[in-house]
Amino acid sequence: MTTATEPSSQSPLTIKELNTENPRWCAGCGDFSIIMGIKRFMVNQAIAPHNTVNISGIGCSGRAPFYINTYGVHSIHGRAIPVATGLSLTRPELNLFIHSGDGDAISIGGNHLIHGLNKNFNCVFVLYDNELYALTKSQTSPTTRQGHKTNTQPAGTYLAPIKALRMVLGIGASFVANTADWMPDHLVNTLEAAYRHKGFSFVHVSQRCPHFDPYNFEHKSTDWFSFLTHEKGIPPDKRIADKTEQLQHDPSDLTAAFALANTDRTYFGLLYHDPAKPRYDTLMQEQVAAAGSKDRTKILDKYKI
Amino acid sequence: MSKEVHHIHRMELLMDAGFGAQKAGDILIRAFAHSGRYVFIEPMIPAEISPPARSKPALSGTIIRVGDTDLTNIGNDTDILIAQHEIVLDRRLDDEEHNPNCRVLLDIGDQKTNEESYEMVCKRATKLGLKIFPFDLTDTAKADIKALAGKGKNMYYLGMISAMYNVPEETMVEEITATFGKKLKEEVLARNIEIFQEGHHFASNNFDFSFEIASAAESSQEKILIDGNTALSMGIIDAGIKIVCGYPITPASSIMHTLARSFPSYGGMVHQAEDEISAIGSAIGAYYGGTPALTATSGPGLSLKQEFIGYASAAEIPIIIADVQRSGPSTGMPTKTEQSDLLSAIYGAHGDNTQVVIGVGSILDCFYAPQIARYFAEKLRLPVFIMSDFQMANSYKVIPKPKAYALEENVDEIADEVLEYFGMSRLPDDIEMVRRDQSPPGVPGHMRRVTGLNTDEEGKVNYFAKSNQRSHAVRNEKIHHVQRSLREPEMIGDCQEGDILVIGWGSTFGALSEAVVSCQKQGLKAGGICFKVIYPLPLMLADIFKRFKRVVTVELAFGDYLKRTPLAMFLRSKTLVNVKPMICRATGRPITPMTIENAIKESLNKE
Repeated sequence: MTTATEPSSQSPLTIKELNTENPRWCAGCGDFSIIMGIKRFMVNQAIAPHNTVNISGIGCSGRAPFYINTYGVHSIHGRAIPVATGLSLTRPELNLFIHSGDGDAISIGGNHLIHGLNKNFNCVFVLYDNELYALTKSQTSPTTRQGHKTNTQPAGTYLAPIKALRMVLGIGASFVANTADWMPDHLVNTLEAAYRHKGFSFVHVSQRCPHFDPYNFEHKSTDWFSFLTHEKGIPPDKRIADKTEQLQHDPSDLTAAFALANTDRTYFGLLYHDPAKPRYDTLMQEQVAAAGSKDRTKILDKYKI
Repeated sequence: MSKEVHHIHRMELLMDAGFGAQKAGDILIRAFAHSGRYVFIEPMIPAEISPPARSKPALSGTIIRVGDTDLTNIGNDTDILIAQHEIVLDRRLDDEEHNPNCRVLLDIGDQKTNEESYEMVCKRATKLGLKIFPFDLTDTAKADIKALAGKGKNMYYLGMISAMYNVPEETMVEEITATFGKKLKEEVLARNIEIFQEGHHFASNNFDFSFEIASAAESSQEKILIDGNTALSMGIIDAGIKIVCGYPITPASSIMHTLARSFPSYGGMVHQAEDEISAIGSAIGAYYGGTPALTATSGPGLSLKQEFIGYASAAEIPIIIADVQRSGPSTGMPTKTEQSDLLSAIYGAHGDNTQVVIGVGSILDCFYAPQIARYFAEKLRLPVFIMSDFQMANSYKVIPKPKAYALEENVDEIADEVLEYFGMSRLPDDIEMVRRDQSPPGVPGHMRRVTGLNTDEEGKVNYFAKSNQRSHAVRNEKIHHVQRSLREPEMIGDCQEGDILVIGWGSTFGALSEAVVSCQKQGLKAGGICFKVIYPLPLMLADIFKRFKRVVTVELAFGDYLKRTPLAMFLRSKTLVNVKPMICRATGRPITPMTIENAIKESLNKE
């Protein structure tokens, strides 16, 4: 196995070093803010870019790894989690960030999300939730709000959306946080909390898509959401903290988290955190470490007759 | 008692699933192997776990071919057959694999309650010329079986078989004790041995025939008894692969089972993924990180993995796929053999994919295939297939213990002998990649993003005309390197030119070579080739084909007068020679050497 080496330069990481090319996203796209949040988080935490892998599937969010100067895997639709699983098992020293859209994560890649959450391998999973398929030009996704008109359901989306937070809590996620692309301070703090958690950190980001759904997420209003606060939680966004309700919520309280995720109101902050959930990656690594190392040249001896 | 001496003999034991037919067979072959005989075994396994007893789907059994020379395949027709009851016999007669003089030892324990059925099946067998020897278990054996809650009949049959093959009772008791000693309670073991002895004595006293298999010359060489999937699993460890990702699927699962127990001791992991797609995705993730990885599957799983296979080729991430083929299409026959995935491997991924395909035709092939697969995968950064099949995976035999190489991180350290074994010379040192930098994560200053999108040499996404054309050219050039490294394929026997060239790949190797050599011994100008590397093919192939009046294939895949089989179609397209499928069966059963030999003769007589 290849082991990571330390960078030669010890100078602090800068945003500029993390830039690559001009993203090919639409003007005003929430994805710009998300990757800026990731870069700010990396600079704050001095995350070594060469020991970081951004892994994505397909869609607008799939392009994120191209625009952050670390290692990256732009994989196939819905399958970023399997790729990350393989890396987490064999290269535990790497920082893994998974970028996945609502269609990518909850529709085509839904099975992998279930098992990523259950395996609880160490990564930060960022759900870019713009509530529709955008790169393929406006189709209904699992999180599209009922009645919203798309190219595949032009009379209005038939079904109520899947509540992503309720879903992942039900599967047994060990870390569930909710943030939005237009709250940079909250986004960075959320990523930092997610990174600190060792396990599968699920970060839901409400992401604006001005091109296909300009009236979604009334980001200039604060009436429709509250911040969850707690000493073990994530502080509310500095800029708008005092403009809306702040609700005390203990992130170790799963029942309360469910109740919050089950309402129609939006709660930004840390819904749930269980630092003790077993991790598949470390269990597997410990098994190998405990097994000792046998001589491979004698591999066939046990079949001797 | 008349003793017949044979050089090669074939027997089969037919029972209901769950009664230990294969276990009995295993004990017998150990005794054979210890006494210097060569054996080749094919288990017959039902696709379901416990089909209802006394029903055709319940047939579970073992076919054992024993001889005084090395055996490469399960052979032709059965000489002696033991059946637990008339239903399994009836089912097996459907396969038409019995010698016209085959003796059938039929247990009549169920006859009283099934008079009509017994009568009908016996009539059928007699009509086919088979000689039926009805027998019943002794009262002592019956009492023991009752005490063992119905288990133990297999030991009685084992006793009968070993008596008929003149294997000393004591030798067998030693083998039984060695097999069960630690697993069974003393009392249970004792009853099993008693049942065995009852069968042995019964056969010795009641049948007027027995067989003697000549013993091969003793050699001091260490020998192993191993099946194809186990050999492949051990080969995976030997090749330095460190993670195997899979999803349960017959007949590939046993690779995961074998490795789950032994892999961690050699620094490896078995990752059971949530589905077939995830399994290959994780293997690709691991290989991207620099850890040699393999995913094992069978047909339905191969279909699911195709998008990722194309991705690996485009993103230039090495990956090894082991496909243990079974009968298709769709779910087909999960515990029957076929070679119909060939074109799925070569052409399965969309958008003109590039890959290398290896076919395994012997236990030794299975053991060394992971090494050569890793060599190709890492040198070319392309997907590499190891194509096995149900028959190859589950058949086992005794072979001289092969050398293990314990390949480390650098694939260039692969032994010349291994390259030689697969008929190729070393690949060039610097093979051009679509992207110049192929650093794995962790190397400062080389941060790079891999993608299934087309890119330029710098790894930047690029949709310009010249760039995509270049990427195709670079990927295909990698394959051309392999093609140029492939030597003239080994010709079976000593016929280099002549009337007919018979071609196969993978598991038909054993039967094909036995048939071709036999024809050559009879003075026929029949040549044979069985490809180990099936994609790409060596460059000089058309020239070799032209040395023969006709070129035909032997394949475990369907074909008829209008439909070309996968191998025939592929060879025609590559050589423009009119390659015809000579044997193209999708019966789920292996092709026998005699079938091939007869077809060769028939084909030559048509001239």
